[in-house]
Amino acid sequence: MKLGDQARSELLNAAETLNVYLEGNILKIIDTEDDNEFKNYIDKAIERDKETRRKRLEITKSIQSQNVELLQAEQKNIELMSELREALQKAEDAKNNAERDLDVIQKKSQFELIGIIVKTSLSIVVGVGIITTILYIVALITKQDTALLGNTWSSMFGILLTNCFSIIGTIMGVKYATENQPSSPKS
Amino acid sequence: MIESVLLVDDESLFHLVFEDACSLLDIALSLHSIKSADEAERLFKEYINGRGKKPECVFVDLNIMGSSIDGIELIRKINHVYGNGCVIGIISSSSDKVEIERAKKVGAQFWMVKSDEIEPRLSDFKRDYDGYKSRTAAFKVYS
Repeated sequence: MKLGDQARSELLNAAETLNVYLEGNILKIIDTEDDNEFKNYIDKAIERDKETRRKRLEITKSIQSQNVELLQAEQKNIELMSELREALQKAEDAKNNAERDLDVIQKKSQFELIGIIVKTSLSIVVGVGIITTILYIVALITKQDTALLGNTWSSMFGILLTNCFSIIGTIMGVKYATENQPSSPKS
Repeated sequence: MIESVLLVDDESLFHLVFEDACSLLDIALSLHSIKSADEAERLFKEYINGRGKKPECVFVDLNIMGSSIDGIELIRKINHVYGNGCVIGIISSSSDKVEIERAKKVGAQFWMVKSDEIEPRLSDFKRDYDGYKSRTAAFKVYS
């Protein structure tokens, strides 16, 4: 591309008075022919342009590299957050398991206690029943007076049966209440 | 010097790096940078319809975020749908051999690895460019 005389002199004047030069790829297509003054101007403009681009390239690269570092840091943060969430979930699961285990142990202890009470109570009930019955039978066989013993046996058997049902009812009630008790709110 | 270069890359900062590096190395007279493969497709549709002039050389990023197709598919379309006619290759931070083979199969002529120091690779590319233009140079990876 060849510039006219007026454009040429205005460009040279702008460079001399304002220190303003042409920039960019247009410099690569301007034909200076044998005009040494204009050739010097174009060479200087190309040199300035390259210097500007070199500086910009360095800055852009530095920003690009910082961007990469920021992205890597962000990725690391995401990974850490994910690990933290995982650890939190594991802790929550462990807590729930521990609470469940504790609940099971408590229930087991309660059932064991109930079992002991039931066994003891039934042993007493059955023992008293057997002893009274044996006494009653012995009295019958030996033809002793059984009026008092018979009434006692009858009353005692009634009382024992009532108590027996009472114990069974209590046990059933306790079992029902334990099974349907809502779990305590978790903090 | 290459008359016109088209860069298809979603990273705006790399547009500046590429433009300045090309200018400093006197690689291209004009450089047009766009951010999506869909925009590149639209441009090539215009070129085959006679609107505008096809770029002499095209650099395509492998993974172009926000585009419906990747760089390799774009190269396939340019080579097989939009009439070819330009030197075309991939510019990517990846150097995955599988992807390089894929690019080669669809007609990419080169693979340039994108990194902080792009100038030496562009300088080598400039030296090999005539071979790509005349279709005599073999596929090459600039890493």
